[in-house]
Amino acid sequence: MKQCSSINGRDFKEMFTAATNWLEKSVSEIDALNVFPVPDGDTGTNMLLTMHSTIEEAEKANNSNVSDICQAMSRGALVGARGNSGVILSQIWCGLAAGLAGKETFNGSDLANALSQATTMAYKGLSNPVEGTILTVVKDAAAAAQAQAANDNDSVISVLEAAVNAASESVANTPRLLPVLKEAGVVDAGGQGLYTLLDGALRYLNGEVELMQFRKPQMIASSIPLTPLVVTAPERVAVDEVPFGYCTEMMLKGQGLEPDKLRKKLKNKGESLIVVGDDTTVRVHIHTLDPGNIMHYLTSMGTIHSVSVRNMDEQHQDFLEMQKQRAPATGIAIVAVIPGDRLSDVFSSLGVTAIVPGGQTMNPSTKELLQATEQATSDKVIILPNNKNIILTAKQVQSLTNKSIRVVPSRTIPQGVAALLAFDYEADFETNATIMTQALSSVKSIEVTRAVRSTKLNGFAIKKKQAIGFIDGTLVAAGNKTSEIVNDTLAKAGLDEAEVVTIYYGADASEAEARAINDSIQTDYPDLQVEIVEGGQPHYEYIISIE
Amino acid sequence: MAVKIVTDSTSDITSDMAQELGITVVPLTVSFGHDSFLDRVEISTDDFYRRLEKESIFPTTTQPAPGIFADVYSKLAAETDEILTIVISSKLSGTYQSAINAKKMMENKCRIEVIDSASVAMGFGLLVIAAAKAARKGASLDEVMNMVNQRMPRSHLIIYFETLKYLAKGGRMGKAQGLLGAMLSVKPFLTMKDGEIAPLTRVRSKAAGLDYINSFVSGFPKIEKLAVEYSTTAADADKLVKSLGQYAPKDKIYQSTVSPVLGAYAGPGALAITVLEADK
Repeated sequence: MKQCSSINGRDFKEMFTAATNWLEKSVSEIDALNVFPVPDGDTGTNMLLTMHSTIEEAEKANNSNVSDICQAMSRGALVGARGNSGVILSQIWCGLAAGLAGKETFNGSDLANALSQATTMAYKGLSNPVEGTILTVVKDAAAAAQAQAANDNDSVISVLEAAVNAASESVANTPRLLPVLKEAGVVDAGGQGLYTLLDGALRYLNGEVELMQFRKPQMIASSIPLTPLVVTAPERVAVDEVPFGYCTEMMLKGQGLEPDKLRKKLKNKGESLIVVGDDTTVRVHIHTLDPGNIMHYLTSMGTIHSVSVRNMDEQHQDFLEMQKQRAPATGIAIVAVIPGDRLSDVFSSLGVTAIVPGGQTMNPSTKELLQATEQATSDKVIILPNNKNIILTAKQVQSLTNKSIRVVPSRTIPQGVAALLAFDYEADFETNATIMTQALSSVKSIEVTRAVRSTKLNGFAIKKKQAIGFIDGTLVAAGNKTSEIVNDTLAKAGLDEAEVVTIYYGADASEAEARAINDSIQTDYPDLQVEIVEGGQPHYEYIISIE
Repeated sequence: MAVKIVTDSTSDITSDMAQELGITVVPLTVSFGHDSFLDRVEISTDDFYRRLEKESIFPTTTQPAPGIFADVYSKLAAETDEILTIVISSKLSGTYQSAINAKKMMENKCRIEVIDSASVAMGFGLLVIAAAKAARKGASLDEVMNMVNQRMPRSHLIIYFETLKYLAKGGRMGKAQGLLGAMLSVKPFLTMKDGEIAPLTRVRSKAAGLDYINSFVSGFPKIEKLAVEYSTTAADADKLVKSLGQYAPKDKIYQSTVSPVLGAYAGPGALAITVLEADK
């Protein structure tokens, strides 16, 4: 389908069915991005449910022209919209439908126009549009699509590709626009959801359907370099005088409804107001202290359906509780230096408070480490440098801050993980620094990389770009084939006493190769527990821990 | 008349122990869908875990109704005028509330006290045993209560989990919520804090878990009693009893199984270790 210049309705539906399945794969990650009081505790789920309803309606459409199918999808989105982001998504569909109205098929410029209309509709639905959200992402995607369509190459794929790339950058940029995101160190969840949908649609057009079954969508990282992944703010916990009220959602059905008038009428009755729809069906979303009042008013206009009233103070409490629980322990923050987003995910899933991107050939400055420690809300901070060249830098931090700093001198990623896991939630700061330091020796680290120049080391004559294997920093193998060097290094490290082997494969290695290495280990050591993790680290094709 | 000791089935007191020490054990209920069983009475631990591993539905659990405690109290009131009830943490189960309600139903026929152990399994089972022994020696209700209250802070329970799936499904994660979602396979150790489940640490393998248990126990200079419990892995428990023999004599080590009601949350492969620290 690579060369297609125009697309019919059936393909359009298939494209977004694939996109919806793609979105489904990262729903829980998107849900986890939520930052209160950005409304809705479950953006990913809400967007997915909205898409389900959208696709269902498309299935019912009789005609295969894109105009009718998109109209049906727009209706499905409106009826099934859930939550703030779902309602905005339904507006995007409404705009797309308007943009593609009357068309049998569509080409790149049609798509660009439809995206522009979608942007207009999305902004229109809100009484108080906020930048740094899904709104900004759809706007940026539409602008890039227009620019591409104006070029010579205006195939649907090239236009959509431009939109996806722009959406990705826009999502990464959301923390710069919305302080609450920056504070929490996350990107906007709704924006991420929209990016994932567009990306899924593009992948479908590129014929990656099969690949998509085995892959997961990319979670965009914040473009602000310092990313505290889990920030618990005791002081923020205390501030909770302003009641959030009730998140109130419902659908109004009637005749001659006027969404614009309704919006004006409801404007002063609460926050985060969204009113969208047409003269027969209107969806209302508002955060109000008096949901009864809203319902009373709306029932005077028509019939109300799918009513949902949720107590947000309760949600807020739950959220604070969750934030508290996600921190490793009250009073101790852990800052880690990590190369790459995938490894950052691993560390944050194990309870690291803040991540400073860095590692081999990209050592962070003392200032960056200092910033991370200052941002951590605890006065007691443990730093995991995870690289021998960063340990000294980390030790400088203490002289620059009033906080208490302990550096657990982890020299490798496996050592960092071992230290992190050894964290004792019941023990105090000093004891934890000691326990974590002791844990460093419980693991052997293997690193396999490529020689940057020809040299002689440890009796090995190494040629430039050859694979070289290290055990705890000592060179033990060199050769042309990576997998052979990995196996050679593993053999030298000795697996007889090992219980768990974890293989982190890097950006330059493949999962298939990692599996092959796993299989060869399992053949020799059937009782050994081997785990393969996508580390995505640069430079090192493999980092392997032996415990 | 000797004080009578009542507890619930999550104390993991085996029927042999209960009989020997004159302890009345009130069972909670565990259900798979509509099939309900009285804990340890109508379903054995072995049968339970066999079913747990093959069922697609997760089991649910219920506290004993107040009436069941009331029946027990009425029966015992014929033999004694002092009853002490020690139950599972009130933050994990409504059993405490049932026992309290039953006490109110009894009016003043007999003096009844209920202690919220703020723990589970042998974490309070060892206290129940100590209480029963003191009662048999003729201690008064106040003396027994005093003794239990003194020991409560000295009882240290740690639980090794093969998986947190069951605990999370059952909504009992408490302060250990943050341990969910780890992107590496890890085996968590949980403990009890302020009557709730709380995280302790994590290991990568069962062997490392057994090492951790040994080093945990070795950290106590004087041990009054020790308890080793398992859900499905009897061999691991045997191994532990052997290796822990260096910290406490065999006759001070109690062995039991994690009762079905607790197993509904602990899942297969769990190990629970309780150290009852001696008075300094």
